[in-house]
Amino acid sequence: MRALFGASLKMVVRDRQALFWALIFPIIFLGVFRLFSFDSFGTTDVLVSLDNPSSPQQQALLGALQSAEFLEVTVSDAPLDRTGAQAEIDDDNVNAVLLVTADGARIDAELIHGISDPIGSSATEAGIASLVDSVNLELMGGNPPIQFATERIDSAENTTFFEFLGPGIIGMGLMNFATISLAGSLSRYREEGVLRRIRATPLEPWKFFASVVLAHMTVAAMQVVVISVVAQLLGANVFRGGPPFFILAVLGTVVFLNLGVIVAGLVHGRGAVEGAANAITLPMMFLSGTFFPTGSLPDVVRAAVQVLPLTHLLTAMRAFVDGDSVVSQWPHLLVLAAWIAGTFVVARFTFSLEDS
Amino acid sequence: MAQAPGREPTTGAPVIEVRGITKRYGELTALDGVSFSVQPGEIFGILGPNGAGKTTLVEILEGLTKPTAGDASVLGNDIRTATDEVKKRVGVQLQASSYHQYLTLREILELFGSFYPHSADANELLQRVHLADRAESRIKQLSGGMQQRFSIVAALVNQPDLVFFDEPTAGLDPDARRDLWDIVRSVREEGATVVLTTHYMEEAEALCDRVMMMDRGKIAALDTPPGLVRSLHAPYRVRMTTLGQLDPARVAALPGTSEVHGFAEGNLDVLELRAEKAPPTLGALTRLAEDAGAEVVDLAVLPATLEDVFLSVTGRGLSG
Repeated sequence: MRALFGASLKMVVRDRQALFWALIFPIIFLGVFRLFSFDSFGTTDVLVSLDNPSSPQQQALLGALQSAEFLEVTVSDAPLDRTGAQAEIDDDNVNAVLLVTADGARIDAELIHGISDPIGSSATEAGIASLVDSVNLELMGGNPPIQFATERIDSAENTTFFEFLGPGIIGMGLMNFATISLAGSLSRYREEGVLRRIRATPLEPWKFFASVVLAHMTVAAMQVVVISVVAQLLGANVFRGGPPFFILAVLGTVVFLNLGVIVAGLVHGRGAVEGAANAITLPMMFLSGTFFPTGSLPDVVRAAVQVLPLTHLLTAMRAFVDGDSVVSQWPHLLVLAAWIAGTFVVARFTFSLEDS
Repeated sequence: MAQAPGREPTTGAPVIEVRGITKRYGELTALDGVSFSVQPGEIFGILGPNGAGKTTLVEILEGLTKPTAGDASVLGNDIRTATDEVKKRVGVQLQASSYHQYLTLREILELFGSFYPHSADANELLQRVHLADRAESRIKQLSGGMQQRFSIVAALVNQPDLVFFDEPTAGLDPDARRDLWDIVRSVREEGATVVLTTHYMEEAEALCDRVMMMDRGKIAALDTPPGLVRSLHAPYRVRMTTLGQLDPARVAALPGTSEVHGFAEGNLDVLELRAEKAPPTLGALTRLAEDAGAEVVDLAVLPATLEDVFLSVTGRGLSG
């Protein structure tokens, strides 16, 4: 049995296509999303043009702008006019330009920006307007009766987009590998006559089957570790999930292994098997909140999505990363357990080692 | 003869005993009441066209398929109840079966060896079929002939007392085929009984001690190759080439001749026929030629082939 398991493991590891789905594909995703650096969303690049930089009023305004977290401020070397500002925006050098001009004792501050990002633009407008108000008050020596302050709490609950993405990519990798590779292996063994040849030996067929499944689970476990390490290095803090995170990831793979067995049982012909496996995993990958929270999906789709196993696996994995207890995730764990049991029963009746 | 370790000496009782085996797949009857036995140390050939039931029969004897009716024993074990014991002592080479594409030849042999209580050394096995230098190759990197040699040696991994080869030379060129014949003979020389299916009659003729002809799920004939040919009503083929024509009707009127047909070959005339007895027919033919004033250029007598036997017992050719 050990020789059999060893051989099955070698076969999975030497299957380059399976390894691609298991490791390279998810790691590429992690790398690509890291490059996009979505976390810098929410800051606006603003070019500030001061016609009289040495004036205390303009200095005060610049200081306030520079201390604002939602702005990335650069100061123009020479004062700009509207045409110059327009050119800077058209060339995508900055998101907005603030033209500050002195008109006698009065100072005009005019914000110029494009219309491509209306939400970002209005946020920037509102933010700068309130900054200008507070600078005005300060310059007038006023003592405002209402002090407004906000604080963004940096807790485990408050994850960055990349931290959200990490568990999603791990789950996606597990699903793709488990379903596609196992379905492919089993159909290959059947079509190339390997199953028949095994049945001609005294080896009990279920042992062969078990060794193939176990080999896939072992590779899945290695896969979780490798992708987690990469995700961690890139900044998704998946290690915070601890043992429950890793154990759940590997257990969750059982659903997808069962799906692989079902596909191999129902569909014949290798190309068709791979197509069917992809037809299951691809929609699930997009619908189960791998890349974006399911909250952004239309209501009808969201209801359907609540049935998918990957949704629950990812929700629980993310909760563990957020520091939630195992017990708190019982509804998701229950749904997953039901999926494991259900797919096992279906797999049992759809796949036969006697096929030839 | 030295027995390989783990091989139990055969006692003279039949290695295979088949009694009235029938196999139906729905409407189709693949095997229809087949009975025969195979003796220890034989190379026993099962000959027939595709669809004759050869593979089904072999798969039943290997324990891969259950018969619909009838029973059989293999190496003294009932194939219905003692399937495991049969599988331990039988070597199997399956038609169109391949091996794991991601394992090397050595790894496959070691893996299959691990399924049996005792097994042969992978290196020795590979040496036997001249594949020792390919031990670290994978199946897909081998030529067709090498793959067949490997599938044969993989059937020997458990040092079997009985080996089944299902169409071992299908699709191979004549050289590679003769190579495999030598390997099959060497298996028998080491004391194992060999059962092989084929649809090449020259293979059955060259290799087999006895040949069982199958057609549409039934046994059409069973004997040694010479015995099968002798059993023909007209076991000889005669071919006479003459300068000057003979009347085919007069030839056909000769006693003991059949299937006479004549044709021209350049300025020569050729007559082909089947004869029950060679000497009297040859004498009569020469006299006929003299009477007709034709000069005999060539006169040849050939024994009939298994192809002729198959044709005569089934009314169809082997390739059909």
